[in-house]
Amino acid sequence: MSTAQQTVDARSSYARIPAAFKLQFTVPSMLIWVPLLVFAAAWVIAVGIGVWIHAVAGGQTEPIYTGAANAPLWTLVAMAAYAASHTFPFSMALSYSRRVFVIGVFLAFGLVSLAFGAAFALGAGVERLTGGFGLEVYVFDLPYLTQGAGGVASAGALAAGLCLFLMMFGFFWAILYRRVSITMVWVVIIGLVIILLGAAMLVTQNSGWATVWRWFVEQSALSLAGWMVLPVIGITAVNYAVIRRATPG
Amino acid sequence: MSGNTASTAIQVSGVSRRYRNTTALDEVTVSFAEDQIHGLLGRNGAGKTTLMSIITAQAWPSEGQVRVFGQAPYENEQVLPKICFVREDQRYIDDSLAKHAFKAAAAAFPNWSWDLAERLIADFKLPQKTRIKKMSRGQRSAVGVIIGLASRAEITFFDEPYMGLDAVARQLFYDRLLEDYAEHPRTIVLSSHLIDEIAHLVENVVVIDAGKILLDEPVEDLRGRAVTLVGKAEAVAEISAGREVLQHEEMGRIARSTVLGALSEAERQRIKDLELDMIPVSLQQLVIHLTTRQAADGNANTALTSAEENAR
Repeated sequence: MSTAQQTVDARSSYARIPAAFKLQFTVPSMLIWVPLLVFAAAWVIAVGIGVWIHAVAGGQTEPIYTGAANAPLWTLVAMAAYAASHTFPFSMALSYSRRVFVIGVFLAFGLVSLAFGAAFALGAGVERLTGGFGLEVYVFDLPYLTQGAGGVASAGALAAGLCLFLMMFGFFWAILYRRVSITMVWVVIIGLVIILLGAAMLVTQNSGWATVWRWFVEQSALSLAGWMVLPVIGITAVNYAVIRRATPG
Repeated sequence: MSGNTASTAIQVSGVSRRYRNTTALDEVTVSFAEDQIHGLLGRNGAGKTTLMSIITAQAWPSEGQVRVFGQAPYENEQVLPKICFVREDQRYIDDSLAKHAFKAAAAAFPNWSWDLAERLIADFKLPQKTRIKKMSRGQRSAVGVIIGLASRAEITFFDEPYMGLDAVARQLFYDRLLEDYAEHPRTIVLSSHLIDEIAHLVENVVVIDAGKILLDEPVEDLRGRAVTLVGKAEAVAEISAGREVLQHEEMGRIARSTVLGALSEAERQRIKDLELDMIPVSLQQLVIHLTTRQAADGNANTALTSAEENAR
């Protein structure tokens, strides 16, 4: 179509993506303040436990590697599911197409994931510089994440990629629940379990576990982060397919 | 049909919507003219919300098609920003305040007016610091009504806007709606079962029952289409002879008959001579009579009688 044919108020079909993106931050507690709170709390608690161990053990102990960094990650997954179930009906009242809504969600979750990855890398950097606050308590600077190519930055990249995938996965369950009955949700869960079991059996039958483990060992945090692109694209496409036929009522 | 003078904003053609065991809409064909206020009337469960959901692409038909400004609205960002449909039971973002909802709406609707929104917030005395989920029913309804009005969307649906609003707030809504409509004409669809309450607002009436369109006419054509005569039975019988009688009651020698069809000047004179009382039939009663007559089964009868009771 030539531009002359277009009326003055003709808009791009993607003109409302920035607004759909901002929709996710309408109530900033959901994707910003609560995850930040959990992030800070998990870190403080982990370091606090380290201080306590030092006090009890009386002096030098082995370095402590904790899984506290999981806490903000799973908080974000829960918040992503929550956001989907609450912003979707409202986005319908605001007359967003489902496509624009999903793109907005993807961009918002993407930004949050990048922020999480950056915070992860920053935390790892601080721990590296201070030797785990002089106590050797590590929440982020975990050797298997930060010793490969790219160092702490690669750990941040993997954290960001994993975070985006898990957030879209949390979103998937919430949207699926909107679309189908609770029975169907469980059918899907059972189906996924069967597929995973089938894959595991196939690997076992072909004595392939050694190959699988070798593959993982050969990966660095950076290359794993690169591989995350595939499941992220996959789950985003699945989410759009599910939401296309979801109703807000 | 009213679509002759104005152009058509919404065209619904042969739309059916079936759920597993029920048919919510049954081959509905109806159009809504541009820049008019339409009343979409029917009892709860008649198919009003389903029809509005399909027009606004929140849901989709099992069969048939919908055109909004000539385009299919589903996943169509050229048309969707021109439509606003806040459900009666609309879900908002958890923990959000009214201002959050309005900010989001302002970003979504190109014609949004903050001036109007702020005026309405003051008019409805909407609390600023109460989370929407903690609001009263009326306050929640007001949030939806404010989004609907301030969006100034080319096509705006109000889904039972009186629900939860008290009489004063309802009047306020009707006043503001008419004021803003006069300045910014647009297509408005009011869904309701309080027919008389919105009768003075709407220019066109669409009545839906059990998933079927029973009536689609300009209000003007409906007014004066029926009259109720009260007086001596034989005098009432004289006038109503040859006319379709919608309702007839007799108490002793006094009869009360609602008849269809406009009266001629001679007939009016004769009614005077016979000392009959002539009571205009309200839109609500007319719709009840017409739909009761047209309903194939007894459903519409009980349906609209209950609507009448609710109105009282």
